[in-house]
Amino acid sequence: MKRIRPLKILVLLAALALLLAACPAAVPAADTGAADSAASAGAEFKVGLVTDVGRVNDRSFNQSAWEGVVAAADMLGLADDDIKYIETQDAKDYADNIQQFIDADYNVIVSVGFALGDATIVAAQDNPDVFFIGVDQFQGEVLPNLAGLIFNEDHSGYLAGVLAGSLSQTGTIAAVLGTDLVPPVVAFNEGYVAGAQSVNPDINVISTYHPGEISQAFVDPEWGAATAKQALDQGADVIFGAGGITGNGALQEIATADGAGETVFCIGVDTDQWNTVPAAQPCLVSSAMKLITPGVVDLVSLASEGNFPGGNYFGDADLAPFHDFDDMIPQELKDLLEATKAGLIDGSIDTGYGN
Amino acid sequence: MNQPTPASALKRFGGRYGNTMFIALALIGIAILVNVTPLKEQTWLRVLFGISALNFTLRATVPLVLGALSGILCERSGIINIGIEGMMLAGAFGGFVAKTSTNHWPLAASLIFSVAVAVAIGGLMGAVHALFSIRFRMDQIISGTVIIIFALGTTSYLYNRDAIAEGKFSSIALPGLARIPVVGPVLFDNPPITYLALIMVVVVHVALFYTRWGLRTRAVGEHPRAADTVGINVNRYRYVNTSLGGMLAGLAGAFLVLEAVGQFQEGMTAGRGFISLAAMIFGNWNPFGALGAATLFGYTQALQNELLLAGVTRVPRQFISMLPYVVTIIAVSGLVGRVRPPAAEGKVYETEGSQ
Amino acid sequence: MATASTTTGFIRPLRALIIPFLALLVALLAGAVVMLLSGDDPLAAYSGLFQGAFGDGKSWARTIRKTVPFVLTGLSVALAFKVGLFNIGASGQFVIGSVFAVAVGINFDGLPAFIHLPLALIAGIAGGLLWGAIPGFLKVYTGAHEVIVTIMLNYVASLLGGWTVYAGGTQGQTPGPLWDRTAGAISETPDVLSSAQLPWLFGPPYRVHYGIFLALAAAILIWWLIFKTPLGFEMRTVGHNMRAARYAGIRVNYTIILAMALAGGLAGLAGAIETLGLNHKFAPEFGGAVGFDGITVALLGQTHPIGVLLAAFMFGALDGGAAAMQFESGVPADIIQIIQALVLAFVAAPLIIRMIFRLRRQTHGDAGSPVSASWSGP
Repeated sequence: MKRIRPLKILVLLAALALLLAACPAAVPAADTGAADSAASAGAEFKVGLVTDVGRVNDRSFNQSAWEGVVAAADMLGLADDDIKYIETQDAKDYADNIQQFIDADYNVIVSVGFALGDATIVAAQDNPDVFFIGVDQFQGEVLPNLAGLIFNEDHSGYLAGVLAGSLSQTGTIAAVLGTDLVPPVVAFNEGYVAGAQSVNPDINVISTYHPGEISQAFVDPEWGAATAKQALDQGADVIFGAGGITGNGALQEIATADGAGETVFCIGVDTDQWNTVPAAQPCLVSSAMKLITPGVVDLVSLASEGNFPGGNYFGDADLAPFHDFDDMIPQELKDLLEATKAGLIDGSIDTGYGN
Repeated sequence: MNQPTPASALKRFGGRYGNTMFIALALIGIAILVNVTPLKEQTWLRVLFGISALNFTLRATVPLVLGALSGILCERSGIINIGIEGMMLAGAFGGFVAKTSTNHWPLAASLIFSVAVAVAIGGLMGAVHALFSIRFRMDQIISGTVIIIFALGTTSYLYNRDAIAEGKFSSIALPGLARIPVVGPVLFDNPPITYLALIMVVVVHVALFYTRWGLRTRAVGEHPRAADTVGINVNRYRYVNTSLGGMLAGLAGAFLVLEAVGQFQEGMTAGRGFISLAAMIFGNWNPFGALGAATLFGYTQALQNELLLAGVTRVPRQFISMLPYVVTIIAVSGLVGRVRPPAAEGKVYETEGSQ
Repeated sequence: MATASTTTGFIRPLRALIIPFLALLVALLAGAVVMLLSGDDPLAAYSGLFQGAFGDGKSWARTIRKTVPFVLTGLSVALAFKVGLFNIGASGQFVIGSVFAVAVGINFDGLPAFIHLPLALIAGIAGGLLWGAIPGFLKVYTGAHEVIVTIMLNYVASLLGGWTVYAGGTQGQTPGPLWDRTAGAISETPDVLSSAQLPWLFGPPYRVHYGIFLALAAAILIWWLIFKTPLGFEMRTVGHNMRAARYAGIRVNYTIILAMALAGGLAGLAGAIETLGLNHKFAPEFGGAVGFDGITVALLGQTHPIGVLLAAFMFGALDGGAAAMQFESGVPADIIQIIQALVLAFVAAPLIIRMIFRLRRQTHGDAGSPVSASWSGP
């Protein structure tokens, strides 16, 4: 019994110390916060980012956007303290988390994902002095301090489809996708199907969206992997994995399949996944990219120069390099892809998405 | 209880599982027929019995059946285990950490070591559950809930998202057997944990019903007072069983990380622990019953995916995705009826005079 | 088993709060140790957490706003526990409640608010009631275990909710019945008409709506139902010993269905309040994660309505402060989950706390709360 006493005293002391330390700490912290903001009103330039439900290092769109903020901070010479992020835990916290940055007098606030669209518009209307960048948020009406960074995902999906349709020997290709509740995913897929059919009208495209709820759809690598295997079993030899971590699961499954990189190929999404998912390299011919990172860098630096473009701002959507597969891709296919890209840009090729 | 003879055991087995076995054999027969004849050109037959559907079924079944076995071991000894989800996740995380820190080892050694770590972490979680339930007399449902939340929080907090696990288990074709049409590629060309899971079903069944240890375990779960009277150490059996159960859940986690996906992801168990729980109850706390329930669930999941891949769009896809869940509800209300858990479940056992 | 009979009073002795308070303290300390070990700054984290939860008016508003759904889903799970049933289905009931409420809320233009708003709230409750009654009904008439059925119904509800607002993709599928035609490719409902919106108690930027009073009223009502009515007595008797209740002439089947339906109704009300008061629309991302937290809240509150209120408030504060904690200190919100798990563990196993602080043992209550009884069923 006696032996327990020191422990008890220790715990109580520690608790007391913690309370004492926490309370005074709370007050000055608030004070300095206010002082900071007063000083920073003109001088400092601070950039905040609110993620969609997910992590800032999710190897997917949240991470790409945050990398954009970090790169912009490097370019503009901002201190580490001047860029911060909040990872959203619950969809109904979007407005709160944006408000957190407004209250701390941030100059630019990046909100990531179409789901934050409404909260971002409201915040932008209420705070005309703050610049907002809404990644994947289409702007129906132009607000001078809100730029929606959007992409023609159907274009890069179309290019991926042309590549897949040309590479396929079996005449069956597949797509393993995040949920169709998220418009960019649908755009990728529609473009992919149309692109594949443009090179082979008879091609059989089997594509499937994650069946679960939105919070699960992008973070279920085992479903992605199992579905990729299912597509392989049905004879698909090029598989497009488009759906965050779920899609990454599909890529990694194909990378370990028989004939990976010889008869069976995979195509990544969003960024050049040769770099973000090294395990997929054995099968990864290319990725259908939407370049969030440079888009965020551009918009942040435009904001710092005072040339902020309100309304919709189109980022680049393109096909990633072929890396080790460069020699395998015949020159005529490369030429076809170049021509297709030009056609998509000048409008002579229509992906059919959104009609 | 009569001392079982081999003949009576077979008879009892046949009586209990005869119908299930007949249906299973009939299905396999149809599957072989469909796949080796031109019938497989029929979309509907391919969707229902194609090799891709059967492969997906087995793959989805493995973690579920391991989880259910975990629950059975705990609950047969009288400890409710709703924490399977947490134990699975903790095991998955342990396996991932072990794999990433032994990437430089030979692949097989690193994988086997990582499985051992995953199993050990699962066992540890089981032991903690037993400690809470027995030593600290915590309500067992609360203890299970604590384990789930704690595992979710801790694994997400500690997860180093830059760590990469290199390599995962690949399939081992069993010589000879793998060449049987349909059955071969589905059952006898799998990675090791899949074989192990199927073996564990038999092992747990035999151990529970045909060994002294199993008899005592069941006695402890049904009537601890009587077991105590004949000199069985009730709580020791509960500690051991719950830890063993945790190890099986850890193995399910190892399956997800080291065999199915090759990476860890926060919350990657995605409710599989809860489905396991349902499979355990559905299977009336019997290993083969749980296997049947898990297979049914895996099959309906495969079917749902097959339908989506086949482009069935007349029915909104959400209704197709409901298939596994609705079938399970119909099955538990129509087919099994009332199930009976071990009688002494959830109750703290105190030996005479232990107050 | 003892707790139900010893906690019939509306206000339990203050002594009952000692253990939870010490539990919270030890859990915070343990959380601090975890943070120290992984190189984070616990003081900065906790001061951020505290500011985020109680630092100013807006923080208080956020804490209260977040407390509301926890109270209702916690009550939902707690009520089922009282009858010996394990309701894992609060998240599905929450979703169905949201969908029903929004279906009324976006239609019936021109209805005065004093009719439209109650109608929408009642629709939410009714949706939850129906969804909760299914497992009760199946348990009574087919013997299907409510744990399986509620788990499965959560998935079904989430898919059903997703379908009602489904934009239809472009695969030629028909859009869902509640989909907002002006939303383009986005799957969501239109905004709830202003006549069906729950009014602000404190408007933006505070955004506290009248839902907190509904939650408090529900807690008092459930307390009264459980402890002061014959029906409540029957429910508790069924929860204690189903067989004895049957011999005593209690309508066990009726009680089980009613309890599950009421539990569903509470979670449905939570969904209705969140939809009509805060989100003002339904979209798939407003799912029912709060339903699983309801289990934790109910257990932490020892299935007593007042305990649930306190536990929900603690959860509201921890969740409300999480974003500020990350903003101030960079510590991710996962640490909150670890703390929640530890608090629950220490509250549920008072022996651990008693060992640390060498408190004297109470004469009863140490054997834990009676929720495990819910496993075996009839």
